[in-house]
Amino acid sequence: MSTENPSQRSQQATGNSFVGDVWVNYKRWMIKSVRNPFILTGSLLQPVIFLVLFTQVFGQVATSAIGGNGAAISYETYLVPAIAVQTALAAAAASGIGLVNDIEEGMFDKILVSPMSRTGVFLGKSLAEISRIVAQIVIIVGLGWLLGARYATGIPGIVGILIVGIVFSLWFTAFSNIVALVTRDQESTIIGANILQFPLLFVSSAFLPLSVMPGWIQTIAAFNPITYGVDAARALTLGEDVMTVIEVTRFGGVWDTLVPAFAVLVALDVVMVGAAVVMLNRAAKSAVQ
Amino acid sequence: MGEFAIDVDGLELTYSDGTRAVRDVDLQVPEGELFGFLGPNGAGKTTTIKVLSTLLQPTGGSVHVNGFDVVDRPRDVRRTIGYMAQETSIDNDLTARENIRFACEAYGVPRSKRADRIDELLELADLADVADKRANDFSGGMKKRLDAATALVHRPPLVFLDEPTTGLDPAARNRLWEYFERINEEGTTIVLTTQYLEEADQLCDRISVIHDGEIVVTGSPEELKREVGGEVLDVELAEDGPDVERARDAVASADAVDRSAIDVTDDGLSITSPRAREIGTDVLLALRDADIPVLGFNVRSPTLDDVFLAVTGEHVEDLDADGDGSEPVEASR
Repeated sequence: MSTENPSQRSQQATGNSFVGDVWVNYKRWMIKSVRNPFILTGSLLQPVIFLVLFTQVFGQVATSAIGGNGAAISYETYLVPAIAVQTALAAAAASGIGLVNDIEEGMFDKILVSPMSRTGVFLGKSLAEISRIVAQIVIIVGLGWLLGARYATGIPGIVGILIVGIVFSLWFTAFSNIVALVTRDQESTIIGANILQFPLLFVSSAFLPLSVMPGWIQTIAAFNPITYGVDAARALTLGEDVMTVIEVTRFGGVWDTLVPAFAVLVALDVVMVGAAVVMLNRAAKSAVQ
Repeated sequence: MGEFAIDVDGLELTYSDGTRAVRDVDLQVPEGELFGFLGPNGAGKTTTIKVLSTLLQPTGGSVHVNGFDVVDRPRDVRRTIGYMAQETSIDNDLTARENIRFACEAYGVPRSKRADRIDELLELADLADVADKRANDFSGGMKKRLDAATALVHRPPLVFLDEPTTGLDPAARNRLWEYFERINEEGTTIVLTTQYLEEADQLCDRISVIHDGEIVVTGSPEELKREVGGEVLDVELAEDGPDVERARDAVASADAVDRSAIDVTDDGLSITSPRAREIGTDVLLALRDADIPVLGFNVRSPTLDDVFLAVTGEHVEDLDADGDGSEPVEASR
């Protein structure tokens, strides 16, 4: 081994295993998000406001709009899956903010000069973000229940909603990291990641069935990832096929929504995460300044 | 391999936009040395350090750090170096202890040694009594010391410090200097960059003056000062007096004074000469004959500023202009 250094120091660190690197970074980001109340509550605040206000203000009107297909569904039940996806969206938007903050604070460079695996570093950070998304969706689901939402598929369905939230969050997490690497500026990243949230949410199946919306919205909604995330979560909440943008009947019931929704979301995740990884690698190789 | 902590041969770094940030740098730093890169902003100091610490890939030449090629074995290099960036790099959300712990974990310091190592570094960085406070509330000097402590968790044989004291007040700077000297005495090789001549002069065993991406001269502070070729005669002129060019002409007219040895400074003129003491009278007389009032007069040893001027033709003084206004000279006294 040529790793011997002639100096007398014997305490050189050996570095960690890959899992160790993931764990170290996971812990760091968990501490940061617990410590930083803004991150935890800030990204939850808007979805909660939406949930409460929309059900209270539009509840009466909206219930009749969604009641088209026979079974009586309360607007609360209809809305909770959309709010769960909105929560995932808001939390994912914060991922890039964390990265840009690390770049600005110099922690990005500091980690790059350490022997930690780059993949492990970002995996640890992502897992911390996923933990947060899970916690936040659980809060939303619980709050929804208090407001009167009911989950037809029970606990397995709620676990399913959490999985939808995670799968949905990945592409937007990747997107916000790309924005962070391009702008290298905290404010631009916050604006860049947030500015898309509202139009995306409204031009989708999130708040009302697409059938009651004008044609152009229906067209755009078919290309909007939020439609797929919301439809998947909603299918799990209602226990029925709710997707209208792609009609699939092969799998039966809930799966007629879940299969196409997951296919679209996973494909999008692969593309966006791939792009983010390429950009992160490039940023790690060339000067950060 | 390995008599040299750093062995650089023909290092080139050209950015993608064509800027040649570092040109043909050769450098050997033996183990245990406290070595400094001295130069103005944009001279290529930080770029060089970033190549040595694997943050940037060289575009030419060969670079070995602790015996490892930075391109082929970056992870071995990273394992055996500590690096402190120019900008203070700590996690403000974490406490001092957590910052050091994170670094310990990042470098794989064995669990059994971690607690002792953390306490030892908190002590060394003089942060033991604020160990569990959030770094966000620390002063600039405290943050710097914490940053330096996190670079030492794995007891690296070689530490890079990129402008470690820029922007600190003199007291904080002094404290950090002591800290670096202490770890150097314990056997750690230190490579630092600085814009402060006093810092280089006081701390470094050897210095490379770097200018426009090239090393213009390397040597101990004493050797470099000898390069200047003599002592320096400073003449202070009245600010509202006759213009300085006339004074320069007057001094040049004196026998024994070489015009090229006269430099215009903020306060007046400085004349470098191996016979600075003897020519003093001639200079004064020449100025008096020309009716130019002299406010002050002093013969001194050359400083690194004189070295810098001699080798690059530029003063280093304007470099400190964007600093905190405190003169590094006072910090060392």
